[in-house]
Amino acid sequence: MDMDFPDPQELEWLEANNSNLQDDLVFEEFDYPQPPPSPPPEPEYPPESPEPENPPQSPEPEHQTPDLESKIPSSKPILSLPPKPPTVQPQTNPKKRFRSDVGPDLIGPGNVGPAADVEEKRCRIDDAEGEKSDDEDWLRYSPSKAAGNGDTDVAMVTDEVVEEEERVLSRYASEIVGDCLPITGLDGDRVYAKICGVENEERVKKLDIKGNFDGLSREPIRVLMQRMEHGELSKALQASIEGEKVVNSSSAPVDQEQLWVDKYAPNSFMELLSDEHTNREVLLWLKQWDSCVFGSEIKSTADDILSALKRHSSAVQHSKFHTRTYGNQETRLGNENFRTRNYQNQENNGSKDIQELWDKKRKQSGTPEQKILLLCGPPGLGKTTLAHVAARHCGYRVVEINASDDRSSSTIEAKILDVVQMNSVVADSKPKCLVIDEIDGALGDGKGAVDVILKMVSADRKTDSGKENTTREEQSVRKSSKRRQRNTSLLRPVICICNDLYAPVLRPLRQVAKVHVFVQPTVNRVVNRLKYICNKEGVKANSISLTALAEYTECDIRSCLNTLQFLNKKKETLNMLEISSQVVGRKDASKSALDIWKEIFQKSRVKRERRSMTAFSTMSNEFEFLLSLISNRGDYDLILDGIHENILQLNYYDPVMQKTVKCLDNLEVSDMIHKYIMRTQRMSLLVYQPQVAIAIHGLIAQVDRPNIEWPKSFQRYRTMSVEKTEILHSWHNRISPNISRHFSSKSFAEELISPFLHILSPPTLKPVALHLKSEKEKIDLAQLVNTMVSYALTFKHLQSCPLPGGRRHEDVLDGSLLSFDPPLEEFIKFKGYSSCHFVLPSAVKQVLIHEVEKLKILQGSTNRCMDSPDACNKENHALAGKENLSSQSSKSYQENASSAMPLNAKNLSIQAQHGLSLVKPLTTGAGTVTASAKVRSPEKTKKLSGSSNFFDRFRKIKSNGSQNVDHNVQASGTAERDLRPLLFKFNEGFTNAVKRPVRMRDFLL
Amino acid sequence: MLWVDKYRPKTLDKVLIHDDVAQNLKKLVTEQDCPHLLFYGPPGSGKKTLIMALLRQMFGPSADKVKVENKTWKVDAGTRTIDIELTTLLSTHHVEMNPADAGFQDRYVVQEIIKEMAKNRPLDTKGKKSFKVLVLNEVDKLSREAQHSLRRTMEKYSSSCRLILCCNSSSKVTEAVRSRCLNVRISAPTENEIVRVLEFIGKKEGLQLPPGFAARIAEKANRSLRRAILLFETCRVQQYPFTHNQAIPPMDWEEYVSEIASDIMKEQSPKRLFQVRGKLYELLTNCIPPEIILKRLLYELLKKLDSELKHEVSFWAAYYEHRMCLGQKAIFHLEAFVAKFMSIYKGFLIATFG
Repeated sequence: MDMDFPDPQELEWLEANNSNLQDDLVFEEFDYPQPPPSPPPEPEYPPESPEPENPPQSPEPEHQTPDLESKIPSSKPILSLPPKPPTVQPQTNPKKRFRSDVGPDLIGPGNVGPAADVEEKRCRIDDAEGEKSDDEDWLRYSPSKAAGNGDTDVAMVTDEVVEEEERVLSRYASEIVGDCLPITGLDGDRVYAKICGVENEERVKKLDIKGNFDGLSREPIRVLMQRMEHGELSKALQASIEGEKVVNSSSAPVDQEQLWVDKYAPNSFMELLSDEHTNREVLLWLKQWDSCVFGSEIKSTADDILSALKRHSSAVQHSKFHTRTYGNQETRLGNENFRTRNYQNQENNGSKDIQELWDKKRKQSGTPEQKILLLCGPPGLGKTTLAHVAARHCGYRVVEINASDDRSSSTIEAKILDVVQMNSVVADSKPKCLVIDEIDGALGDGKGAVDVILKMVSADRKTDSGKENTTREEQSVRKSSKRRQRNTSLLRPVICICNDLYAPVLRPLRQVAKVHVFVQPTVNRVVNRLKYICNKEGVKANSISLTALAEYTECDIRSCLNTLQFLNKKKETLNMLEISSQVVGRKDASKSALDIWKEIFQKSRVKRERRSMTAFSTMSNEFEFLLSLISNRGDYDLILDGIHENILQLNYYDPVMQKTVKCLDNLEVSDMIHKYIMRTQRMSLLVYQPQVAIAIHGLIAQVDRPNIEWPKSFQRYRTMSVEKTEILHSWHNRISPNISRHFSSKSFAEELISPFLHILSPPTLKPVALHLKSEKEKIDLAQLVNTMVSYALTFKHLQSCPLPGGRRHEDVLDGSLLSFDPPLEEFIKFKGYSSCHFVLPSAVKQVLIHEVEKLKILQGSTNRCMDSPDACNKENHALAGKENLSSQSSKSYQENASSAMPLNAKNLSIQAQHGLSLVKPLTTGAGTVTASAKVRSPEKTKKLSGSSNFFDRFRKIKSNGSQNVDHNVQASGTAERDLRPLLFKFNEGFTNAVKRPVRMRDFLL
Repeated sequence: MLWVDKYRPKTLDKVLIHDDVAQNLKKLVTEQDCPHLLFYGPPGSGKKTLIMALLRQMFGPSADKVKVENKTWKVDAGTRTIDIELTTLLSTHHVEMNPADAGFQDRYVVQEIIKEMAKNRPLDTKGKKSFKVLVLNEVDKLSREAQHSLRRTMEKYSSSCRLILCCNSSSKVTEAVRSRCLNVRISAPTENEIVRVLEFIGKKEGLQLPPGFAARIAEKANRSLRRAILLFETCRVQQYPFTHNQAIPPMDWEEYVSEIASDIMKEQSPKRLFQVRGKLYELLTNCIPPEIILKRLLYELLKKLDSELKHEVSFWAAYYEHRMCLGQKAIFHLEAFVAKFMSIYKGFLIATFG
């Protein structure tokens, strides 16, 4: 396989074995660093035609491009290569043709050759210069013709004709008198053709027709001419409606059925319309695979290439100036010039990184670092085309997997493995290059492909890292075969294509792949191409309307072509003014929200002014533009949020804040509209939302570039407030209804929390052991614990949810870790505000936790009783009474606590009220019940406790009303149920059912 | 237990403030059949307390025995069925709920709950009350549709069900509903009344109140009894033997609002507005209702404002509050008010000082 210019001889040998002429051709073109057009161009072409030299034996070419030049190499006497199959000859041409493309200057003396071999070649070329320049003439129009014609034409054309041609076709528009028309060949050559009357056409057509013959025509020229005239006449009649068909009308009807998009898809690298830099990067990346894929070839040439490249890049530097100095002729906007210039600039930019890349490549010289190429960009810019062309160019056979294929994980894996790892058995077949199109397309299925690729890449990584050293050795020994065996992973280039780079599926892929983002090609390039196609198809279109079309479709070549073809079918001409009204599909791709915000905040630049060439005033035009922009996007809520978020960060002149007020008023209006729409579900009113944004645009748009942020704060606020409301709500639900009914969740935050936090952390509470506290302190503590329990509060460790058992060991822990369980402090944490709340020392918090737990356990047995109003009702009495009574100080707070629920903590209340000192001082709440139960003789105490409690209650309730008696009995029964055998069964509902007879005796005991 | 709950009067007889209203209610309930009632008044004035006491008066102590229930309604709304979940407080005699929590669907809740109650009439006709009571909180937040649907059902099922509506502002309740109810206005307690209550509590707790201390708290409390009692307890906790000039801890969010106000007064520019926006977000995040923020902000601003501007600023505050009710995103409207204020104030400054 060919590589970048090894020894030309060798190369040609190689090429001889290669059947794919075209790829080579294009390839050469690229790899030859383009020499600068430094010497002054030689516009004069020798008028004498070298036709006679054309070898009659030149082969019948199958290809469109190479065949045209086939005569040249044969005319070269220097080529001393062994006899080749006829196919070889066209291959060498491209090199020369290419040179001649660049301009005659190349051949001139003093030209800095990029590589040694280049110079060598040039000598040869110089010999044949005369032919070449002539040859060029052929080139100029020949590509524009359909395939099939060849040297035979050449042979037929008389000198006269050629002389005529000199005037008709030229590289420079200046040389043509009168109207001219740029024509681009399939391989990217551009020439100007004079538009002259019938005669000119006639000649061209004549040539076409002759193209149908094989070999040298045996018919005399006159016959041919006559035939031509006849054909022309009939054609002119035929095509009278279609208007002027400049070129090749005979082939047009045949091709009508084919989509222009396919018909004019670029076949060679030079024809690509996409950004040159990207193209080259892609190609370079593909070239990096060569050492892996093609094995040894590269190694012999690597040095040559490198030096060539280096020299070239320096040459490019020179050329930059040259182009300036000799720009007189080139400044004319000839396509050729434009192209070369463009190309060079690109190269200038790119030369640096190209070199870097090469260096990198040199060092690593295996497969490229990033084994996957990810091309992304909006549709219609030619990503797929680029992938195909570039891969073919580099000598791969393209295997494409796209969205329409089966993309489940298993099938795709097999397929990819097939492509990537298998070496084809058939000797002559080329290595494959995998192109996965629309990889972002189907989320579910596409994932399969991404996974497989990632797997392979990661496998590769592993082996690579382990093999780092060995590869180097191998490289020197050049044991490529061995290497292939060991390296079971990705061995062939994989190109992935997507539209949306940030699709979630691609996230992992983005990290490993080399990403290229497609940018829109310049309008000029697209227009040139369109013009070329129009000319070929005979569509009348001036460049202004084509430019408008290209801008309209945002340089989507596909849609441009489709539109043109459609119009052509309809026999309409492209009308600049009508583009919007014509059926031309406006690209519905909505812009991203960020772009829209930018448009809103930024005043229209000159560029858009120019677009408004119509009669509209700028104002209304801008209105239209924004309106369509915003309504295409549709997400008004987001748009307005973004405006709100960014509006205050802009630098608009607003001394008295009038504008700000107006903007915010506008936002308010949109908010009100939004609510109204949501409430009444009148979605049709949504059309009035974009106007708000436009009004704001009118108020504050600035010329300078705004710094736009994504609106996060509102979302953040929303989620956080939802979170906090949730906290409040759940807290609210946990509090017993007797208390919570008086507060709404809202008033919690508004009124309760601030004082509540003060109350909950009294600074008077000292961190001393319980038994050291004074009486008053104990009461305070008891009250605090009581409050905490009734408001369902506790302290909690922030990190982990502590187990009750483990808490003792954590006593040492820092108190700052302890915070309220419903995180109340959060509600007074405002940014930039420090509250003056006292924070309890950790020891106190520990104690509080302890006590709260204790109280909760006591409560636990009789949760339901909390609901009973009696409990609350009596609490006050109990509290007052018991505080006085309690003699056992260590327990006083417990009693208080338990008295909150007099039913459950019976044991304690009995002791307190009757002065029984049966029970030892209790320490833990949990222990209370069990311990007390142990101390007493089981049966008796139970009865006692139950009864005394009952009576205690009974007495108080009597005053309130008799109907409570039953209730109390039930309630106390419920309380006991958990601890002892049933005395009463409490039926919920109000049937007052006492299931078992109880004697008064039992109670009195 | 907080003092707020501890000293909440349980019966109509024990009510300390609005005792005239309480007596009237008592008479109303004991002597004759009870009409629908609509309580309205500012927060912290004792509406709920009165309602609870009234219920107790009607049904006896069993009215206090309540349980919480998360109720789910399946509402057939034309094409689809909607599930609505609401927390309700139930006793045998009454149901208490906050229909505004159901959002857009509050209409169905109101209709369904009344129908349901009408179906399950209490069985014991021996008791004198043959109806149940439905307490609806925050009626002013009910949507208009819900209020419309309320008025028919109120009449239709009045034999089996009485409504007690409770809201802050009667102006947000439709005329139709208001005319079907006996309106009971519960005004905010005056400072004297608050002082009386505080002194009562102090006595019960056995605290020594220095003269004028209760008045200071009452002044701080913004005529909300609940807040007064909370503040009182806070003071008690912080420092017991009260001193005459003991600091009364402020509400945190109000402090924050006053910070915002001083920010606004210091500088008027979009940049400053942006900072203010951040602070407003903070407040909103912490569940402070936007109307209250606006009100407080106005209050703080007015304190510092030239009297010339007060009228205008108040007007705009009302204007933006109205818009806030119409809109959804409170921050837009709060910010718009701040911007408007800045604009006015800056214009004023320029006009006066050149």
